[in-house]
Amino acid sequence: MKKNFQNKFFNLLLKNGVENFIGIPDSTLKNFITEGLAQKKIIIPTREEEAIGIAVGTSLSKSKSLVFMQNAGFANSLSTITSLVQLYKIPLIFLIGWRGYLSKDAPEHKKIGKIQPKLLEILNLPSKVITEKNWKSVCLWSIKKIENDMPCALIIRREFLD
Amino acid sequence: MIRKEAIEIAVKEIEDEPIISANGYISRDLFSLCDKKSNFYMIGSMGLASSIGLGVAIKNPEKRIFVFDGDGNVLMNLGSLATIGSIKPKNLIHVIFDNSSHESTGGQPTNSKIIKIEKIARATNYKVYEVTTGLKLKKVLKNIKKKSGPIMIIVKIKTKKMISKRITYNPIIIKRRFMESLTTM
Repeated sequence: MKKNFQNKFFNLLLKNGVENFIGIPDSTLKNFITEGLAQKKIIIPTREEEAIGIAVGTSLSKSKSLVFMQNAGFANSLSTITSLVQLYKIPLIFLIGWRGYLSKDAPEHKKIGKIQPKLLEILNLPSKVITEKNWKSVCLWSIKKIENDMPCALIIRREFLD
Repeated sequence: MIRKEAIEIAVKEIEDEPIISANGYISRDLFSLCDKKSNFYMIGSMGLASSIGLGVAIKNPEKRIFVFDGDGNVLMNLGSLATIGSIKPKNLIHVIFDNSSHESTGGQPTNSKIIKIEKIARATNYKVYEVTTGLKLKKVLKNIKKKSGPIMIIVKIKTKKMISKRITYNPIIIKRRFMESLTTM
């Protein structure tokens, strides 16, 4: 994903009232996070579950919130998603970097990259993959979801190796 | 002092202020002693009460936000102390009911007898109070009204088989009333 695109994506979320961006960094989301840091809107805690907990607190305060993470962190978060976010129907946007999307990605990403779409499906967590073509509509889709008290996930493919 | 006695003393001082309570017997005791809209009973997601409390505290700087935690819970999410100590919310009061035990799963030991939660909290920018009696707890709760946080109160309690009833509300109701209390109170 090009730099310009992630910046615009961040700013469109902001324009639509998302006030809290809490998460653990991923190089897949680097430009998104850099833009958020420049605007002093980012909180980086220690683990993904913790990030979700904080975002639940901001969301309970009627402040739109997003949690970002790698898919390794998404795997860490399964119980928090089922026993907190979904149990209480907390409207949160998850932004997840899809490591292991490329078959030649590093070995530690391969398994989770492969099972990630199925995990989202089993969790019944509505999700969409963001691309350079659909980012505006996907952004608005996610806003509509949380305005209807529904958590959802946005996935960014990792289309490079570093 | 057992947990239920400690919680009873604490809620008298806290009155209507928001409380996020950890899963297990802590939420159950709070529910049976003093159910109110501004209690958020976290019935799952062990460890995360302090994280939820941090999020609420950030967005409600004019309110004091209490977290009722256990030793097992706080040890499960020690990273939260590092985050709270970095953000330093002045309005966050983190109460740990410490019986060195995972009481609700059968009383298995935690490591809070061996390590010092108090020292970890001090190293992460908390003001820390440790109490062993109800009288002291009451005194500290009155005393901190003029102090700014993050504050941790470690309440040393004894284990006792006294089990409060389970929370009867649907979690979505717990959420709705808590949200409403934040905007109306």
